[in-house]
This record gives sequence, C-alpha cells and structure tokens, in this order.
Amino acid sequence: MIAQYHRPLTLDEAIALTARPDAVVIAGGTSVNASPDNRSINAVDLQALDLAGIETDGESIRIGATTCLQDLVDSMLVPIVIRDLARREAPNTIRNAATVGGTIGTVDPESELLAGLLAFGANVTLARAGSTAEHTLDEILENPALLNGAIMTSISIPAKGVAAADRTGRTPMDRPIVMAVAHRGHDGAICLAMTGVATRPVVVEPGQVSALDPPSDFRGSPGYRKNLAKVLASRVLGTVAGGERT
Amino acid sequence: MTITLTINGTRRSLTCEPHESLRTVLRRAGLHSVRFGSETGETGAAAVLVDGRLISADVMLAAQADGHDVETIEGLSVPGRLHPIQQAFVETGAIQSGYSTPAAILSAKALIDRNPNPTEDDVRDALSGILDRETGYLRPVHAVLRAAAIMRGEGPDNIDVAYLQPLVGGKGTPSDRDGLSEIAPRVVPSRDVPETRVVGKPETKVDAIKLVKGNPAFTDDVDLTGTLIAKVLYSPHAHARIVSVDDSNARALPGVHAVLHHGNVPRVRYASGGQSYPNPLPYDQVSFDNKVRYVGDRVAAVAADTEEIALAAINLIDVTYEVLPAVFDENEAILDGAPVIHDEPDMDGAHDASHNIVHHLKADTGNIDDGFAAADRIFEQTLRVHQVHAAPIETHIAISAWDSDERLVITSSTQVPFHVRRMIAPLLDLPAKRIRIIKPRIGGGFGVKQEMLIEDIVAHLTMATGRPVRLELTREEEFVSSRTRHPQTVTFKTGVDAEGRLTAQELSIVANTGPYGSHGLTVQMVSGLRGLSSYNCPVKKFDCRVAYTNIPVPGAYRGYGAPQALFALEAHMEDIAAELGMDSIEFRRLNWTGVGDPLDIAQQLGEGDQDAAVMPLVTSSGLEEAVVQGQRAVDWDRRNDPTWKRPADRPNIRRGLGFAMAMHGTGIPGLDMGGASLKINDDGAFNLLVGATDLGTGSDTVVAQIAAEVVGVATNDIIVYSSDTDMTPFDTGAYASSTTYISGMATKRAAEQVRDQIIARAALMLGVDAVSIDLHDGAAWSADGQSVTLEKIALSTLHQEGQHQIMSTASYVSPESPPPYAAQFAEVEVDIETGQVTVTQLVMAVDCGVPINPVTASGQVEGGMVQALGYGHCEEMVYDEDGRMLNPQFGPYKIYRADEMPRLEAILVQTMEASGPFGAKAIAEIPKDGVAPAIRNAIADATGARIANIPFTPERVWNALQEA
Repeated sequence: MIAQYHRPLTLDEAIALTARPDAVVIAGGTSVNASPDNRSINAVDLQALDLAGIETDGESIRIGATTCLQDLVDSMLVPIVIRDLARREAPNTIRNAATVGGTIGTVDPESELLAGLLAFGANVTLARAGSTAEHTLDEILENPALLNGAIMTSISIPAKGVAAADRTGRTPMDRPIVMAVAHRGHDGAICLAMTGVATRPVVVEPGQVSALDPPSDFRGSPGYRKNLAKVLASRVLGTVAGGERT
Repeated sequence: MTITLTINGTRRSLTCEPHESLRTVLRRAGLHSVRFGSETGETGAAAVLVDGRLISADVMLAAQADGHDVETIEGLSVPGRLHPIQQAFVETGAIQSGYSTPAAILSAKALIDRNPNPTEDDVRDALSGILDRETGYLRPVHAVLRAAAIMRGEGPDNIDVAYLQPLVGGKGTPSDRDGLSEIAPRVVPSRDVPETRVVGKPETKVDAIKLVKGNPAFTDDVDLTGTLIAKVLYSPHAHARIVSVDDSNARALPGVHAVLHHGNVPRVRYASGGQSYPNPLPYDQVSFDNKVRYVGDRVAAVAADTEEIALAAINLIDVTYEVLPAVFDENEAILDGAPVIHDEPDMDGAHDASHNIVHHLKADTGNIDDGFAAADRIFEQTLRVHQVHAAPIETHIAISAWDSDERLVITSSTQVPFHVRRMIAPLLDLPAKRIRIIKPRIGGGFGVKQEMLIEDIVAHLTMATGRPVRLELTREEEFVSSRTRHPQTVTFKTGVDAEGRLTAQELSIVANTGPYGSHGLTVQMVSGLRGLSSYNCPVKKFDCRVAYTNIPVPGAYRGYGAPQALFALEAHMEDIAAELGMDSIEFRRLNWTGVGDPLDIAQQLGEGDQDAAVMPLVTSSGLEEAVVQGQRAVDWDRRNDPTWKRPADRPNIRRGLGFAMAMHGTGIPGLDMGGASLKINDDGAFNLLVGATDLGTGSDTVVAQIAAEVVGVATNDIIVYSSDTDMTPFDTGAYASSTTYISGMATKRAAEQVRDQIIARAALMLGVDAVSIDLHDGAAWSADGQSVTLEKIALSTLHQEGQHQIMSTASYVSPESPPPYAAQFAEVEVDIETGQVTVTQLVMAVDCGVPINPVTASGQVEGGMVQALGYGHCEEMVYDEDGRMLNPQFGPYKIYRADEMPRLEAILVQTMEASGPFGAKAIAEIPKDGVAPAIRNAIADATGARIANIPFTPERVWNALQEA
C-alpha cells in the first residue's frame, strides 16, 4: 500500500528519494496501482521531471524514460515495428499512462515492446547521484537491481535498419504465447529477440532457437512453445534477411 | 493529503489517501459515471480524460492527477441536451446496459478532438480499452464514426431498417445488399406480418438518456449515509472442513461492526438458483457452512466502516481447516471412492450424494434400440465443453438497509428481484412482507445474476449492525465466487438410414455442477431439450448425470445448457455429413424440424405439461430463409474455391467457412409469468410498471413499444419503471429468453384493457359508437374523422366527469415455447504452422418472429455472437492442481476487445408467430448457440482437423493438426 506520495521537482531530489529502501518509482503508475502490495511504500512520481519526449539525430533515437506508450505509437520518428509493438502492449486507456521506462522497470515478462527494444539493441541511461551511466537493456532486464537508487532517464535505439515481428496468440491483440522480432542494423548484424520462451523477453542467437527451454503455462506447453519459437524466428529472420522493410 | 484538480472545468480541492485511485476519489466527489469494472484498469469502465487523454482511473492514483485537468461525462451532459457523440450513441443503438457507455463516449471525444476524421481502425483503437460484453462493438464503433461526421458538419443518413427481399421462392438474387450500411438492421419481411406504427420500428431506447449521460442509475450509485462496507473471507481450499473460527481479533479491530460465520448465523438450507417456487432440489447450501467445497467458497463476512478496515478484519479471522481430498473432473467425481462433497447429515434432495450424483435425468421417445436397428449406419462421438464466465462489466453488488418502516430494503444488481425476496426470507427469518428488493439499472447480467448470490450476506450484516451495508465483488471474486457455465462431457450416438435420415439419436451427458446444485437440474434439462429438438428423429433418448465437484459453481449463463449441447450436436452432424459424403447443409436440411413437426422430447424435459395429450408442434420457422440469406451474406460458395482457401501469397494460411444450425426456446411454457400495469396520467402519457428486469437488453423499450402501439402513442409517451417488489407486478425475471414474449404479452394485454377504457370515454366525448374508434397519434379517432386527444380524455376522466383512473394490470403465462431458429456462419483463417485460428467473419441469420425493435434485436445478435465467439475461441477458466483459478483477470481470461473483432452481421428473418406479442419470438439466447460449432466446422473446412473440445486456442488446434 502506498503510504506516502512524492512528486520531486528535480532529478537530484528524485534520486535522493529513491535511495530509501521502501521507495517505488512510478511513472504512469499502471503497474504499481494494479498490483496491490502489502508493504508500506513511498511512491516517487517522476511526472514533474520533464523526462518525456522523443528526438533523433538521424543515427539514433532517444526516447525519454517517462514517454508514455501512446506517444511512442504516435511518433513518426520511431520505427514502425516499435510503434506497432508499443500499440500491442496495452489498450489505449493504459497506453496513455504507462511509460517506456515503466515497462522496463517492471521487467514485464511478456512485453513485446521489450523484445523489440532488445532486438534493436536498446541502451538505457541511468542517472545516479552525481553521475550517469549507460547500460544495455539486456543488462537491465537480467539484473533489475541496477535500477536501485537510480532514475532511468532515457532509452536509445538505432534509427536505421530493418525489422520484422510475428507472433501467435489466442486472438489478434492477445498477449502472445510466443513472439519473435528481428532487427538488421545498417551494418548487417541481425539480432533476434523473443517473448514466451524464457521468464522474460530475451535475445536469442538465431542458431540457438532449437536449444531453448521455454516455460509453461495454460496457453502453451514447453514443447509447443519450442515449435512456435522455431516457426516465428524463421519467419522474422527470413523477412529481415530479405531486406524487406516492415 | 489534499489534491487540487480541475474537474469538468471547475477547480476543486479534494482530500484523499496517497494510495487511493482516481476512480475512488472521483466517485466520492459525486461523479457517478466513473464506474468500477476491475481493480486493474483493463475494463475501462472508469476511464476519464486527464489533460485530454483517456486513462483508466482505476490504476491512476488520485495523487498523480493533482494539478491536472480531469474530464468526465458529467462535463458533457447538459440538462435537456445531448452532445453530438451522446446523440450518435443513442441513434445507432450503441447502448445496451450503458454501464461503460460514458467511458466509450469520452474515448470518442478524445479521438475526435485530436483527429476529426478518424478511420474505423482509429475508432477501434480508441475503444480498445473499454471492454464491452454486450454490443459486439459494432454499434459503438459506428456511433463514433457518425459523431465525427456530424461534428465535421456532415449530415449522416438516418439509420433506417434495410429490408432485404426474401430469397426462398423469390426470383433470382436481388441487389439489395449493395451499399448496405453496416449498422442498418437487416430485416427480411414476411407478408404475414400486419402493418404497425411503433412495433417493428428502430425506436431509441427508453433509458438511453440517463445511460448516455452517465446519470446515477446503478446499484453503486445509491448513496446512503452511514453505509458499512462488507468483505467476505473466501476459502483457500477446494475441499475442507472448518475445524474452528476465531473471530476475536477481527471483532476487536476498531471500525469493525460485525463478523459473521457458521458459528453465529442460523443454518437454513436453500438452493441459490433464482427459480420459480418451489425451487428445485437439492437445497445444498447454507449462508455460512462448517465446510468449504471450492476455492472461493464463503467462510465469513465482515462489515466495517471502510474497505481497508474490512479487508484488515478479514485477514484477522483465524480459521483452522482440515483439508480434504478434492475432485474437479465430472467423470472422476462419480466413480466409487471419489471424495464425497456433500456428506453433511442434513443433506437432502440429491439423487446419490454418496457418489456425488446430484441428478440423473432420463427421457426418451421410444425404444432407442429399435431406432438403431433401423439405421444403415451408426455414428458415435464424445466431445468436451469447458467452463467459462459470463463476466458482466458490473460485478455483483448489493446494498441493504432498514427503511423507516423497519423493512429491509435491498438494492441489488439482480435479474430476479421477486425470486430473491421469496428465497431470502427464510434465511433471515423475516416475513417476506418485511423485505423489498429494488433492481435499478444493471450493468450486464447474462444469467450470472439469476441467483440469490450475495443478498443474504448484506442482509445478515444489516440485521446484525442496524446499518446500511454494501458489498461489491472484486473482479477476481466475481470470477471465482459467482456463477459460471457448466462443463460437460457430451456423447452423441446417431443412427442414419440409407437416404441420410436420422433413425435414432441418443444424447448422454456427464455434467459438472461444481459443489452446489444451483441451476444444475434445469441447465442440463435444457441441454437435453435443445440437443434433441433441432432434428426430426423417430426415437430419441437422453441420459444425463449431473456431478458435484470442487470447481467454482456453475449456474445460469445465457444459453443455459443449449450452447453445450448444440456445440456437440452441430459438430456431430457436420462429421456425419462428411462421413456420408453429403453436403453438410443438405444433410441437415433433410432432417431439421419445420412448421408442424413435433417437439417430442420437450414435455419430458420440463417444457409444458407432461401428461398433456397434445404434443407441442413447431408453429413458425424461418430457417430455410435464414440459411440462404446467411449463405449469400458470407459468400458460402467460397468453400469450393481453392484459390481462396489456400492463398498463394500466404503459404501457411488455410481459410474455411463453417455452418451451424441453432434452435432455441421462448420462455418456459406453463411456468414463466410476467405482469404489467399501465396507467394514464393527466397529460395523456402513461406509466408502465413491469416486473421484468431489463439487463441492458432493451426489454424496457420493447414493452414500451408494445404498449405504445396498442394505445396509439409514441414510445416516449410510455414511462417505464422496472422493477421493484413493492411497486411493480410480479415477474419471474429476465431469463429463458422470455421477456419480450411473456412480459411483452402481459404488457399487450394490460394495454388492450386500457385502450378499451380510453375508447369508452372517447365514445362518450365524441358521441359516437365505441366500435368505430381507433387510437393513434395520441388521440382517439372516429370513423367520420373526429378526434379527441388522449390528454383531453385523461383530463376528463381524472378531473371533470365520472372521474376514475384509467389503468389496468395484466399478466401472462404461455402454454407453449415457440422456437426461434438461426443459421450461423463463421469464416476463419488457420495458421497451419502454429495452430492460431483467426475468426474473420460471423454472420447470423435468425428467425425471431417479428422483431419488436430491429435495432435492439440486432444488438442482441451482434453482442451474443461475440460472447459465443469467446466461448468457442479464447475464454476458459483454468485451475492449478489444487483448484485455484489461474486466470481470474481480464487479459489472462481473454475476452475480445474492439480492435481485434471479426466482421459481424445479423440478419433478422421475420415470421409471424401467432402466439407472440405482434408476432414476436425470442432472440436473447439463440446467438450463443451456433458460433462455437460454426468455427469448429470452419476449421474442419480449412484444414480437415475435426476438434472435439473447445476453446480453439492455438496449442489445441496445433495438436489436432498434427493428428489430422
């Protein structure tokens, strides 16, 4: 339960507040408020920090951490595959509040957007007292403790390249059972990321798809997910290898 | 803390706790349009505009909104006027219960403000966060498009009924489908239907204004000073004995006013299903028992000053359980040695409680062996149907309070207020005359509210505390502790002669009613009735065992046993046709029932008088017309087009079309009763009081149209009030597809008596013979062209001369239940590499007699098809090995949203059903019957895979494809 609510006006103030062990950073708040927590927590709302916004220098695209998912969907600067994955993340009533940073910070286990950002090789900038550091998104998802005591300020992805995504779900907009997204950078390097094959969205070496050991739930057994992983990976890799812009 | 925000243009300072949601705080500030659908934001019933953006107020802290602009529907709602978006929602028939309509309108406003010329995809995306269990989204989407056009200054066309020419016996194929608006209700007229003025017209709903403006109208909008909040402690075990309950810590908590459990509430046995007197046995429940029988069963209840205190108190109740072995599968539950779920000494009324067999139903129309002996070939098939939830967006909610006469008044979101009053009285040890049940607007019911589910809890707590008490189920509680659809294992065995005619049909079912009988008897009777009534067959046999298990309790859910049986039947008939090498529709046509055919199993399965000498017969059927209209609409010939079925550019895709026939009933003959009372006021308008409970279906509008037609006024001259056990005549309630037919006929009769009284006075006033007088356009007209208005007649009778009140009350019970018929078509795409099925189109052509209101009737079909789509395609209640539901939340429990819908089309094929009001039959439930088998048969058409169990989720289909 949220015992206190803070709305820091500066980054330094926010960083100081997050140093408390009972601090929980909220951006849109859609995740924290939807999962009642019996602990007594201090909510640190980042809305006054002016971290939202999307800009590009032509080489990379910088997405402010509190940019809401809907702004990602609507941005003409953002690659179409990422915009579509942001749209699939949640219906618009949630997308107008939920943020890119919040999606990363909660390590949403089935997030298509996170898989897309992984495939694009996203980097995440964290601000701490007196310093900032850049980490790969994969490092953050692998070790969310990196976020402790820090404020995520932005996410960057390359502006160029081709990408493709495909998925299998119960209905067209359902959270996929397995989803695959591939990105080929302007240097030709291909990166494949998937959901539904591990406990979080992961980067998968194209040659290692058949070695995956997926988890299980009522929507898909491990064996079935392995089949999906092979089929979907092959489709998206085929698309980006063909150079078709999607 | 104190926050300051601008609400609908006015700056307001509000006090709140840091953890409180914006929904909680806005509702407390009197903004009733912000409604509860879930805690986690995914229903969108509480969506508001924050700085112009649509956001679920469930998952936004009020504190986050500090300093921002908040807009709710109240900001658009000006007395006496409608915003163009509100107007469009009214005109298009986009409102059913209206519970989430304010949120949908705000979504439209945010969209149109940003983009005055949105596409349909834009609109569907804008509505993607407002889950709708009622309309199928078709009309709301077109309401938004229409509103945008109006706001751009374009004058959209009137929404007229599109009359399609009959194809059966017609000449060629007319071009009357060209350029048809998607929301024009399609009606195939029958020459047998007489001309009417109000009936058959697309009138706007009589309750539309209050719903579209978000006015307080629902149970949650009742604000009583001093109301306590109730919370229930639910069982964490699927099967356990309660060894002890220590409530001392809970009672000691400041702010707690009562804690109830088996130790302090009298043990009175009852059955919770909302049914006519006497409720069917067994009476296997008590308000609080010393045993729990599923995860979600009641253990205790508290009433406290706040929700937080109530929740804290629940956690302080110390219960010691002796955990018992549990059984979840209906086939395992009836085996020797299975855990006995009702072993209590006062258990009574089950067929064989020691083997968990609640009921063993048997019926036949002759010796089945003779029928099989006459068969050329015999086919047998076992299928499984699963458990789903009705999932209305408004969960169960009830508020009880003592009134000034010391009578207990319970406001409840119920479909059966009169049953609740009668059933609750013995539990409370109060005479029924000291109980009043009020049903306000209901935010969806679909059968799950045909139950006395939580009213006893609030009533006991009010009696214990003397205070008003409110209980509203959370979304998880709604899933787990309310009612669900019965799972069944269904076996059909059918004999067919050399020509393809049925010689024998045997239906055997093992049904799962969870731990309580509830509707376990009658749902399964309907399975037998519906499973064995669609097709003519000389010998039929039904055998059904209904099993107790430890799953959350099945009960009534729209369709009531028919969707289960008809999934199995229509899969079975499809596969027989394939085995015989016959066209699947031709094989059915050879056997399906038509006018004059006997409903020969009905009398044994609760329909009508078993000893009556007269066999009920089919009296009207538009099935032939429905089938050919549906075939044309879905372009059925594509089944034979390999380039369509295997698209060259998508090698992993197979397409297919499927058909299912459906036949339902119209009320329960000899049992369902409705009453109506009509009274003229001195302005010439009328009050119509009905016991019927409009769940959002539009039944208040339908009865108003019927009354208006008879007394010759406009629909809006009839002011409808439903329903209240003190104020309105009795009605069994909204179930069994009965309201239009039964309550509509009661209304028609009351109106006819009122008409006679009006005409008698008019004859005096005009000085003419009464037989020459006709009522229309708000006046009485003589044959020679004189007229006197109803207002003058009312003033005369109430104020001037021979004063008396023109009014009448009438009721109706039908001796018969004329079946509506439907042809259901589905179009699918199957990804053969993954098993993913995408349903791309659903078309249903239905004969509901004469639709009293073609717009609301179409809305029933569209929304019903989408609920049925969920049943067949993606919804399922899933449990771990201990019986805990794994997906008690929308999302994991997947219901369709606006931006992923197949194309929908409803076609209303008129027939003149002589026994119904103005020719009407039922329409409410039949849309639930055909979708799952039509999808299943479409998958078979696309891939050859013939799947024996629903839902058609990807892994299940993929497994079937590996075997095919």
